[in-house]
Amino acid sequence: MDRRLKRRLESRFADRLAGPIRQRHDETELRIGPGDVPDVMRALHDEPELRFEILADLAGVDTGHAMQVVYHLWAPTTPDWLRVIADGLSRDDPRVPSITFLWKGAEWLEREAYDMFGIIFEGNRDLRRIFMPPDYTSFPLRKDFFLPDDAARSPGAGVRQMERTHVPRDAPATGHIRRTPAG
Amino acid sequence: MTATRQPTDDSARYDIPAHASADDPRVLLEEQIGVYEPVPPFPPRTEREAEFYTVGDGEMLINIGPHHPSTHGVMRIVMKIDGEKVVDLDPVLGYLHRGVEKICENADFHQTITHLDPLEYVSSLFCEWPAVMAYEKLLDVEVPRRAEYIRVLSGELNRISSHALAIGFHALDLGGLTPILYSFIERDEIVEMLAALTGQRMLFNYFRIGGVNGDLNHEFMSRLGDWMSRATTEINANLGLLNENEIFVRRNRGLGTIDTETALRMCWTGPNLRATGLPFDLRRAHPYSVYPELDFDIPTRAEGDSLARYLLRVDEIKQSLRIIDQCLQQMPDGPVMAKLPRLLRPRPGRAWAGIEGPRGEYGVYAVSDGTDQPFRFRIHDPSFLHLQSFNLLIPGNLMADWMAVNASLDPIMGGVDK
Amino acid sequence: MAVTRNDAGPDVTADTAVVPAPPSGVAEPVVVPNTLWRADDPLAYRGGQGGLEITHLAEIEASGAAARDDARWSGALEIIPTKADYIVDLIRANSLWPLLSGLACCAFEMMSSATSRNDIDRWGMFPFRASPRQADVLIVAGTLTTKMAGPLLRLWEQMPEPKWCVAMGDCTCSGGRYKRSYSTVQGIDRIMPVDVYVPGCPPRPEGLIYGMMKLQQLVKDRRGHWPERAVGPSVPDGV
Repeated sequence: MDRRLKRRLESRFADRLAGPIRQRHDETELRIGPGDVPDVMRALHDEPELRFEILADLAGVDTGHAMQVVYHLWAPTTPDWLRVIADGLSRDDPRVPSITFLWKGAEWLEREAYDMFGIIFEGNRDLRRIFMPPDYTSFPLRKDFFLPDDAARSPGAGVRQMERTHVPRDAPATGHIRRTPAG
Repeated sequence: MTATRQPTDDSARYDIPAHASADDPRVLLEEQIGVYEPVPPFPPRTEREAEFYTVGDGEMLINIGPHHPSTHGVMRIVMKIDGEKVVDLDPVLGYLHRGVEKICENADFHQTITHLDPLEYVSSLFCEWPAVMAYEKLLDVEVPRRAEYIRVLSGELNRISSHALAIGFHALDLGGLTPILYSFIERDEIVEMLAALTGQRMLFNYFRIGGVNGDLNHEFMSRLGDWMSRATTEINANLGLLNENEIFVRRNRGLGTIDTETALRMCWTGPNLRATGLPFDLRRAHPYSVYPELDFDIPTRAEGDSLARYLLRVDEIKQSLRIIDQCLQQMPDGPVMAKLPRLLRPRPGRAWAGIEGPRGEYGVYAVSDGTDQPFRFRIHDPSFLHLQSFNLLIPGNLMADWMAVNASLDPIMGGVDK
Repeated sequence: MAVTRNDAGPDVTADTAVVPAPPSGVAEPVVVPNTLWRADDPLAYRGGQGGLEITHLAEIEASGAAARDDARWSGALEIIPTKADYIVDLIRANSLWPLLSGLACCAFEMMSSATSRNDIDRWGMFPFRASPRQADVLIVAGTLTTKMAGPLLRLWEQMPEPKWCVAMGDCTCSGGRYKRSYSTVQGIDRIMPVDVYVPGCPPRPEGLIYGMMKLQQLVKDRRGHWPERAVGPSVPDGV
């Protein structure tokens, strides 16, 4: 629980914070809007007092009302983990600028968030599906994608017939894939 | 769902062929079972795809398919090669994507710990550890010291077995069939020990929120004592088979070199990052559990190539043996599990926990909404990011060097694909 | 459903008596109506609308060997006693070469059963072949996802017969812990015929060895003979 870090972040990013900085155990949490992501992350990475050079994780979260992208960072300057939550992405068209200009390794993490949630990372040169097959038409970790109680009882051996029609823009135009849920 | 049930036993049907085949209507996959041409059958959707699938003069796209003898798991690499030299790579993942995060959202907190085991299946305890740490942060639970020591002890044993396997597979992928057998000897001994402690050889399911599942028992201690008395000599002999092997050294030296700055930009952690010269180990950089009380070094090497990664793993095994010694000497008495209610309902909140696993930083981000199931359960795996660096490490080398680099990065596809 | 055989025997018509060599060198197939047998059930084989014709190369039609509907042992070879079968099965059972098809965690227990402590080389199974063309038994070890189902089925089809399949681990037997998942196949018997199921998560190497010994017994009893296998989920209704 690093109070100095909290004061430093509050003074540096006062105008961009979308909520209070919270601290619990050894984590400090920062909330910003999606448009502020590149500037805040660049400041966190480059400034000599902050030096958050290690991106530990990039995750998408679907809260039911909105989508979030959560970044976890580590710095040698503070004993806390820093969590940056880019909150307020819409659930229908979630867009957030990509941080691949800072960490090239975020490319695949962003691909994964796109694959699971449909979050478009603007500026990512390679935003396509990474886990699901390229002609898959749903985003599995969204809250409106349901798992059946027993996949074996469904004729499709899975949830293919329950997929919603949120078709990703990059889904290939092949004839044999249905765009509407079957049955 | 209003679809009608299909009969489950089709052996009496005479109008469909008796063996399954791709044309069989009973194959219950709605997509056509795919042909795996290297070139995707639709126009490129991203810049990188267009750049990769544009083949120059003399270049060829080949598919190192999801099934290949390199035993790290099922991964597909589309390689653009010019003769024997690799020009570019496109790894295709997802052949082991099991939807663990979605399953964990529908399971209780205790059940999610079991679901994490098969991710990095050779080091299952390190998969469970950040999850229990994140839940302990959400619930504000204090873990008894004896439980922490047992966690460290079993974790370091698991680290030794994981590194031994990594070394063995490194040699196996380069064609050496002997070191893998020695590695499996080490692994089998350690895993039998852990089976005496946890009940399972591989997917241990041992850590619990607030402690561990059971105390040390006589069988575990006797096997451990027996093994420790010969561990150092055995490990030096068996795993040091390759240290001076000319073929191994010449194949790995200078291959897949990366410098610290690039590695940090690629979000590398763990032994791969320490082999580039940066002594970043979460056990010292962000201490958790009882690691502050234990005395061990962080091995680091400066070259950043495959050989450095291999030698670093051998060094880490020796450090783990030191840690196990100290754990055994300093083991406190007490309970091994904190008192918790059966049904856990943490306050709404978020928690992140990251630990140092054998491959790097293994992390769990748990979001709780006040119910007994996690709202979002995000697993961060280190091998995912190491595989991303293929495009930096391998172009310019030969195809066989892809194998060496892949093996030295030690990915486990269960964790990569979740 | 019984198949009745016409007692008239092979139907030799005038146009199959002598077949000159085709001028282009390419042997054109000859399609003759099926007069060897007919199915009892009127609905079988698409109600007799089609598919019953027999297609032969012209030489086979001319030589009369096409008259047999069971082409396994033909002519003089039919009288070789079943002891040959027994020896051949004994040979096959004691050198089952597995295909290296480890997908996930169970692969490590499979490898552990192949290495020094639990050595399946005692039963001749050490060479894990990388190529399906050289393998006898496909031990599917690890979770099968829908993305991997295609390649795995291709591997199975590429294996030459006789071939057997062992489903190792809970994920391949029935979906296991991934029963609710959106991207796994709930048991590989949905897409390929399975001979031996080895449950466990993961099964101990001794368990896999027990399964392989059962497979050997199966091979010797010719119970796993591929045309008679049933394909489909083996979980009964209501479970």
